[in-house]
Amino acid sequence: MPKKNNTLRLNLLAMFIAIIILQTSIPLIGYIPIGPLSITIIPATVVIATVLLGTVDGAIIGGVWGVITFIRAYIWPTSPLATIVFVNPIVSVFPRIMIGLVAGWAYMALQKRIKRQSLSVSIAAILGSLTNTILVLGLIYVFYKAKAPQLYQINMEKLLPYLIGVVGTNGIPEAIFSGVVTPLIAVPLSRVIKRRT
Amino acid sequence: MTNFLFGRYLPGNSWIHQMSPQSKLLLSFYFVIVIFFANNLVSYGVLALLIIVVILLSGVSITFFLKGIRPLIWLIIFTVGLQILFSSGGTILWQWGPFSITNLSLINGGFIFIRFLLIIMISTVLTLTTTPLAIADGVQTILKPLKRVHFPVDTLALMLSIALRFVPTLMDEMETILNAQRSRGVDFGSGSLTHRVKAAVPLLVPLFTGAINHAENLSTAMEARGFTDSEHRSKYRIYRWQLKDTLSWIVFLVAGGLVLYLRK
Repeated sequence: MPKKNNTLRLNLLAMFIAIIILQTSIPLIGYIPIGPLSITIIPATVVIATVLLGTVDGAIIGGVWGVITFIRAYIWPTSPLATIVFVNPIVSVFPRIMIGLVAGWAYMALQKRIKRQSLSVSIAAILGSLTNTILVLGLIYVFYKAKAPQLYQINMEKLLPYLIGVVGTNGIPEAIFSGVVTPLIAVPLSRVIKRRT
Repeated sequence: MTNFLFGRYLPGNSWIHQMSPQSKLLLSFYFVIVIFFANNLVSYGVLALLIIVVILLSGVSITFFLKGIRPLIWLIIFTVGLQILFSSGGTILWQWGPFSITNLSLINGGFIFIRFLLIIMISTVLTLTTTPLAIADGVQTILKPLKRVHFPVDTLALMLSIALRFVPTLMDEMETILNAQRSRGVDFGSGSLTHRVKAAVPLLVPLFTGAINHAENLSTAMEARGFTDSEHRSKYRIYRWQLKDTLSWIVFLVAGGLVLYLRK
């Protein structure tokens, strides 16, 4: 997205934030429950923002998602996991910013080599989604292995395998989902945006 | 969609309604931090008393608060259960494999339950008595010091208020899209993974396209009205620090001091 129109960029970012707020609160468009797991669509949204608006804006949208997760972990938790894991701003915000950055860099690099836009978007989406899972898992491990969380006096030694199991089993279907769905949405939208600007 | 975090605002003219949004936001943060310092019955009692006074002052019927807790009750029970089963220390009352219940874990579980209730209550007071736009305004005031390091506070606040303004609009549009797809026979609730993925795409593409249309129309409208940058924007409503804010802060600070004094 060229920087020529600042107002449009501001409004597009605002709309993406609105969509993220919607997706964090409404099932169906935010997350798809499959059995005991629930796959979130939001990484796909972040990658779509990255592809349409650029790497920096994608990182901003990812960061907004992270901040919403962080605040909601206190006042309106989405899952029991969130109350333990996402109360730490580094675990909740940092990986989400990285989704935008990694997907953006991957997309830029791939665009030069691969002609088909959908394929490069798909790979960027898979990488972005995996970045989220790996960073969240890694940071949980780093933070809670070292010392027990002060917030809840839970014995983390016993809980850690459970946490990693839940996040890991969510992560793989999430990556597949992002890889399939993101190009299906991003490619027609990039045509819409190109037509308008 | 009634359990939505934003847009639960109830108009009113109470003490809490009249406070400036920035001090309401900061007081909520402060209250949440103080909650984590409380660790015995007396200190939790002080905070519970304070929140009851706040709820009474807000002039909002207590049923709204109970409604706010209902969707979260299973989550709270699960977390408390986790806390009881996995914490260690104290005399063991019951043990099975990795799970054990001790007298200390039962007490901690009870405290976690109260803690949850208190945090949900204070955030419910905040969202019931403050409009989303006022919250965006409060965020802007609070983040103002970051301007020194060239953080685009005003742009962020403008973006946030536009986003909050369009959340209900996009929600309505989503409803329309959902009904349109349902009328064509799409089943959203069930099916295999591929089926659900296939159902999600025709929902999201129109939603995003609609959002892009809104962004475009809005930016045309804004530029037509002479919008150049968000820094030199004037405000329709100005929220000033009032005597009510100072008095509330004094009460909250005293309560915080009491908690620190009474904790073990």
